[in-house]
Amino acid sequence: MVVEGLPRLRFSKASIGFVGDTPLIVDVEMTVNAGEIVGLTGRSGIGKTTLLRTAAGLISTLSGTVECCCTESTRAERGAIGLIPQRLGLVQHQSVGYNVILGALAKASLLQTALSLPNRAMRDATRDAIEAVGLSDKTLESVNRLSGGQQRRVAIARAMVQNPQLLLADECLGELDAETAREIIDLLRSLARDHGMAILVVDHNPVRVRTFCDRVFQLRGHSLIPFDEEPADRGSTLPLVKEDSA
Amino acid sequence: MSDTTFQARLMQLVTRRPVLRIGLIIVVLLILIINHLGITLWKLVEGAGNLKRLGAEALPPDFSVLTERAGWAYPACTYESDFLCSPAVIGMTQTIEIAILATVFGMILSLPLAAMAATNLSPPWLAQSTRQVLAAMRVLPSLIWALIFVIVVGIGPLAGVLAMTMYTVGYLGKLQYEALEGVSKEPLEVARTMGLPRWQVARFFAIPEASNALLSQMLFMFEYNVRHGSVIGLVGAGGIGWYMNHYLSPFQQYDKVLALIIVLYFVVVAIDQISLRVRRNFIDGDAEYRKPRWRDVLITRDVQG
Repeated sequence: MVVEGLPRLRFSKASIGFVGDTPLIVDVEMTVNAGEIVGLTGRSGIGKTTLLRTAAGLISTLSGTVECCCTESTRAERGAIGLIPQRLGLVQHQSVGYNVILGALAKASLLQTALSLPNRAMRDATRDAIEAVGLSDKTLESVNRLSGGQQRRVAIARAMVQNPQLLLADECLGELDAETAREIIDLLRSLARDHGMAILVVDHNPVRVRTFCDRVFQLRGHSLIPFDEEPADRGSTLPLVKEDSA
Repeated sequence: MSDTTFQARLMQLVTRRPVLRIGLIIVVLLILIINHLGITLWKLVEGAGNLKRLGAEALPPDFSVLTERAGWAYPACTYESDFLCSPAVIGMTQTIEIAILATVFGMILSLPLAAMAATNLSPPWLAQSTRQVLAAMRVLPSLIWALIFVIVVGIGPLAGVLAMTMYTVGYLGKLQYEALEGVSKEPLEVARTMGLPRWQVARFFAIPEASNALLSQMLFMFEYNVRHGSVIGLVGAGGIGWYMNHYLSPFQQYDKVLALIIVLYFVVVAIDQISLRVRRNFIDGDAEYRKPRWRDVLITRDVQG
């Protein structure tokens, strides 16, 4: 059960990385609140996805804590966390409808899932979500036949049906053209505004992520810092913007 | 060139070229094995004589197996038509029926076992123990399973169905867990982040993701079961093999057996061709994938429409 007013995601002095390796990121302090979109940027391979997967409970912290929806992330309430991975995690060769209704599984009863019989509310939510992302005419289409932008909309529709308290989106804008990216951003905004979802978005593009996120963090070296804050150790990573040597 | 120089050059060649070295080792190994098994060329020559006698008795094939009524068939044939009640038609029909039942029952039993054996879906202790069970089922070939079930349930197609099902579970289970382990990890991570239990991750994410491979494997297994249906009949487990055995022992009517083999050959070739075409729909061309209709299981018409 979520306690209102408390952050949906909170990292406290967390060291993140893989067991046995040196930590990728140390002393992570970050919160994401309800109805807020928080961006996370940084260069490739620096640990953005690892941080996101840690928030999802797929990787344990090396030290420190990560709390999701006011509980330890590994024991978050069923369906409380939603994930849109970098390659979207759609079930290939299955229809748009199939992929979207999977979001309802978290709230389905054992009997409903055992018999594969979603109730009317689940079916309505699926239909509404598909309509909201503008894919009503593609409900029976295999996701493999859709464009990259359409596939992203399917993943967002799945998240809408799941309606999690915390949504983790990894590079969900990818290399989309400006118009399609704008549509996806509008959908994310509506999720935060209308559903009160807390959203953590990973995006490698620091310019873009600042245009639609309420707050932006960046990974530099082994630290997570607010985007506009200068890192203590400038020499440990490449500059985000080419600086004038003069 | 002196012997010493030749030997030195030969040694140089063998040591410098790993392919030659490995080839030489394999040849020596084969000679040792042939010697150990007591295989001689003379036995092969003797065998040629027997083959000639067998050919003389088997040729021409006696296709009366397609026209004569098999009054001794088990279970008894009640059709009016002699063709429908001929040993070839009854035997082939039984073989295909046994293969269908064994494949379907095998698939139903192997799929949950495969999900339990897949390391990306189950904890290591469960995956390893399930793999041992599947390996144990594969240790015995279908013929030995047939012998066991003929003792347990008696002569007839039931023993055949049980034997083929057991082997199908072991064999198909292995193919399936390998296919399940090959699915993309991202859909599974989506499911785990949602907090779904393992069986739902397998049922709604991994199995549909691997469905093309699973259906293709099932069709392959059906072909296999049709081919092996002839073997298990030799020990009384039904199918065309049972009718072959009837002619072989004690009558040694090789001409009729050859006719049954020819019938079996054409049926197997036909099934192979049909199966190949169906399987192509699931395995060829990324862009042109034909999706299996899993959606019909989960989504009712009013959502689809």
